[in-house]
Amino acid sequence: MFLLAVVFSACQKMPDIEQLSSDLMVYTHYDNTCDFSQYKTFYIPEGLVKLDSKQPEPTYYTKDDPRARQVLEAVVSEMKARGYVQVSNPDDADLGVVMAYVKNTNEYIGYVDPYWWWYDYYWPIDYWDPYYPGWIPYYPYPVSYSYTVNNLVTEIIALKDIDNGKKQIPFVWTSILSGIETSNQLNISKAVSGIYQAFEQSPYINRNAQ
Amino acid sequence: MKSKLSILAIVAVLASAIYTNTASAQIYRPMYFNIDWQFNAIVGDDYADTPTGWGMNFEGGYYVTPKLAIGLYASFHTADKHIGEQLLELSPSSHLFTDQIHSVFQIPFGALLKYRFVEDSMFEPYATLKLGTMYTSTSSTTQVLDFYDEQWGFNVQPEVGVTIYPSAHKRFGIHIAAYYNYATNQSQVLSYNINGINNVGFHLGFSF
Repeated sequence: MFLLAVVFSACQKMPDIEQLSSDLMVYTHYDNTCDFSQYKTFYIPEGLVKLDSKQPEPTYYTKDDPRARQVLEAVVSEMKARGYVQVSNPDDADLGVVMAYVKNTNEYIGYVDPYWWWYDYYWPIDYWDPYYPGWIPYYPYPVSYSYTVNNLVTEIIALKDIDNGKKQIPFVWTSILSGIETSNQLNISKAVSGIYQAFEQSPYINRNAQ
Repeated sequence: MKSKLSILAIVAVLASAIYTNTASAQIYRPMYFNIDWQFNAIVGDDYADTPTGWGMNFEGGYYVTPKLAIGLYASFHTADKHIGEQLLELSPSSHLFTDQIHSVFQIPFGALLKYRFVEDSMFEPYATLKLGTMYTSTSSTTQVLDFYDEQWGFNVQPEVGVTIYPSAHKRFGIHIAAYYNYATNQSQVLSYNINGINNVGFHLGFSF
């Protein structure tokens, strides 16, 4: 009878995924001890990192690429709408915003050691490294998410709160948009809609929040 | 007159043969098997409470007395429910906006005790108590990922039904039953918690 039950497990009716929306899945996580109203300015690099495990080195969507421009503009407009002022020099910024398009990787960010992948692969080549060489990102909250394919990752760093003694870069917000590629093409309209949704479900990111 | 007597004699022989077969079926075929289509609904929890007919039931038993049987049972059933897009609070500091299809797949199996109220009849109403274990796979399918939780629990299922034998040979019958099922399985998927599963449903199938 037990074997019969095991055999029955193959009889499960699979869900009809055609019923599902074509919108993105939007995940956000933040440091709930962070007071986002204490920050005034933000800096965002003029490009988008593209991570692909099939390529040895990360590539970039530069600011001249319309795909990067549209998603960056969406983030900038949301930050400005919430009262933050964009600055062109990260040394003058209270917050830093970094974005990466994860095209194809099976890496995993886990609870136990949340920053190893970022440290080894992402951050050393990213925009912040020249300013904070050898520093490591620090997540005050557990980041537990499987990065598989087609994710647009947006993160906010509290540059103002960097701990010089620990050499840690504190992350205060993570957003992951999943399913942004259609027919092997980056779906920009979905990505932009997903960015708006990520900020909509994060009302605490507000310069004027009480 | 002679012709009428001949017909009566033939009828008497046939009746005797049918009676003998019926009696022998009771003596030499103390076992029974049911194979049913199962229609089931989860009640008391709206995770996947859409009634569906994606299931089957199998049971077999042995009559230790003319009315009392012991046996084994196993069944499976899938319940699906499209949730639609919504914002889930996974923790006080994390949120997920997603579409979902909730699914609960159940496999109860174990031992049964069956009591039929009458025997040697075209209609055999009965009551059964099934006790055993339940495997469940509770899942949420989103646009990108599947989240699921597999659990085992204790399972109890009272059932009433009737077996209908169209022919006097009682070799094949039609089986109809209604049941209630409770399992202690506890599941957690995303922000949903299921603490025990209640089912109601019916079986429609064959008995032999």
